[in-house]
Amino acid sequence: MAELHIIGQIIGATGFPQNSLFCKWGVHAGGAWRLLSGLKEGQTQVDMPQTGDMAYWSHPIDLHYTTKGLQGWPRLYLQVWHQDSFGRCQLYGYGYIHVPSSPGQHRLQCVTWRPLGSWQDQLAEMFVGGGPQLRSPDLIYSGADRYRLHTVGMGTVELELCVILRHFDRYGVES
Amino acid sequence: MADGWCTDTGESVYRSRDAVKNLRIRVCIQRVTSTAALSQHLHQQVLSQQERGVIELDTFSSQTQAASSTDAEELVVGWQEKFFSQYEVDLYQTESNCQTPLERQYHTEIMAMERSKRRQNQRIFTCTDFDRFSKWEEQAQSLLIPAQSTPTFLAERMANVRHRRQERRPVESIVHKSRLITWEPSEEFIKNSHIINTPVQTMHIMGDLGPSGKLGLKENEYILCTIKADGNGVITIKPDFNNNRGAYRLETQGEKREVWRLYLESASSDIHADEKEREQRMYRDLYTRHKDYLNSLVGQDFEMVRIIILIQTHVSAQGYEYDNLYVHFFLDLPNNWSSVPFHCLSGVTQTCRTRSVGKEDVAFFSYPFSFETFFHKEDESDGSLPQWPVLYFKVLSLDFWQRYRTEGYGFLVIPSTPGYHRMTCCTWRPLQSGTVAELRRRLSRFGFRTQTTGSVTFTLNCIQHARAFIDASTLKKRRQTVLDQLGGHSQQGSVYNVLEAFQRAQKRMQERLPRDLINTSAQLNSESTA
Repeated sequence: MAELHIIGQIIGATGFPQNSLFCKWGVHAGGAWRLLSGLKEGQTQVDMPQTGDMAYWSHPIDLHYTTKGLQGWPRLYLQVWHQDSFGRCQLYGYGYIHVPSSPGQHRLQCVTWRPLGSWQDQLAEMFVGGGPQLRSPDLIYSGADRYRLHTVGMGTVELELCVILRHFDRYGVES
Repeated sequence: MADGWCTDTGESVYRSRDAVKNLRIRVCIQRVTSTAALSQHLHQQVLSQQERGVIELDTFSSQTQAASSTDAEELVVGWQEKFFSQYEVDLYQTESNCQTPLERQYHTEIMAMERSKRRQNQRIFTCTDFDRFSKWEEQAQSLLIPAQSTPTFLAERMANVRHRRQERRPVESIVHKSRLITWEPSEEFIKNSHIINTPVQTMHIMGDLGPSGKLGLKENEYILCTIKADGNGVITIKPDFNNNRGAYRLETQGEKREVWRLYLESASSDIHADEKEREQRMYRDLYTRHKDYLNSLVGQDFEMVRIIILIQTHVSAQGYEYDNLYVHFFLDLPNNWSSVPFHCLSGVTQTCRTRSVGKEDVAFFSYPFSFETFFHKEDESDGSLPQWPVLYFKVLSLDFWQRYRTEGYGFLVIPSTPGYHRMTCCTWRPLQSGTVAELRRRLSRFGFRTQTTGSVTFTLNCIQHARAFIDASTLKKRRQTVLDQLGGHSQQGSVYNVLEAFQRAQKRMQERLPRDLINTSAQLNSESTA
């Protein structure tokens, strides 16, 4: 069996309308993959940057997977939320990236999108906040029913991941 | 007459995996007097002459010995081993002077020692971690001449913390999940959390360097050596062991300035060979067992298939005329490529409204798309390189009135090198000139002229998996990339065949040629090299 180490951090997010943000993240892998150590989901703290646009989290990710096959390569999915001064949370974006398959250090940008409702909903959203959310977060990292959604692009989440592969070459995998 | 003094009295740091309680230090002090110096000099001379068998030694050795009883001392000190100074003996003999339990314990020890008349040390004594004479504290804190009257705020806090830390057990590093923040920290909490301090145990070896017969005065006590050990096996000794560098020079303050020689030597016994062997064997067992455990967790199987996998995320589209874009794409597999049956090789993304990033309007899709394809290398004689799959896509816009408009067509060749790729593909759309054509554009898709529209960015991760790689590594051949493997087989085969044919022809030619011709050619060769 081959092993995959993912060591890195969720650096922060930029490009969102408001910058008081937090992020719920998770890693999803196929059936052939088994998590040996590390937390595969979590939530960052709420960051309110005083200067500049980027909200920094520096949230650590340290995972150790073992696998019997190449299907279901792990993917990292994120939900970016905004917390305002009254403590209300509003969804600001869903995004996902595949964990890179080549070893080394990667600086990645994960773009996010947010579902939109009808124009009445959008008008109400401007005043009251809220807005539609996905019923199940699986849709973030699967493409099956995506065509039914109407979305708008939101900001970008920056991540830095170091990928270490072990024993893949023993089984003839080149990456 | 001066022998070499060692002037380097800096501290040195040692690391030890064994317990610090096994540490032993031999301390020698010796007063430097004129007679002693002279006798020592003569002693050395005599020794050198004795080798030539000239002078006897008796008279000189007895003189040196007589002088050594009160002016020199040697003591082996263990870690935190308490030796009493004359001053302490005098002080703790009277019971009324003992206030703390420690002092009372000293009292009993001293009484026992006096009764048994067994006293190992005269001048050299130790100040362990538990004794804290305030004089030493003040001296230790003042680093300047003239001594500062009040220590700084930081020095005060550190002294407090160090003092407290030694009495407490090591702090556990469990963080309560419910109480991460202390809203009203107390003074003590601030002190303990803000100043980083590893608990260190200290021991001073000191000497009473007063004139012989007048021991027991506090002014004559000097620190000979300071040893600090912390919990991680780091031992700091100031000054360091002499190690044949010459003696340290101690000069007393006071009316009579005397010079003393100080020697420090390590007297700890080494670990026995069989104990060391046992320890190493234990560590080795532990590590192999842990390694086996981890291996068992990981397992041994892996799927052995001839397969090429591609993972892709469809990232963003920018620069298009209209809003509410979505992308419809499919993957085209050339000959010799196949896929898992019922596997979906096409997809439609969600409809995304653009927003401006910089000067452009960008739509973010973040659409996952992964597939596996297999390559079959049936026809070996076919000399061409294999065609890689191509991803064809078109970008459409869907507006409020439910009209679909094609915004562009494009294609992307799946890269043949494995790894992470980020590619931007430009798209084009067919164009018909004229206003009527423009109107008709909203309804029809045909045109013979094209116009460049925006671009789409894809991020791909390619992995290539082939059984041939394993075979190559087991046969210890140099591994070729998939490209070489797949496409070049027949080509390489042909090249190799040609080379081989040439070699065979050359061999045959050499066999058929007359002997002398071959010899002359060999001669020519040798001459040319010469």
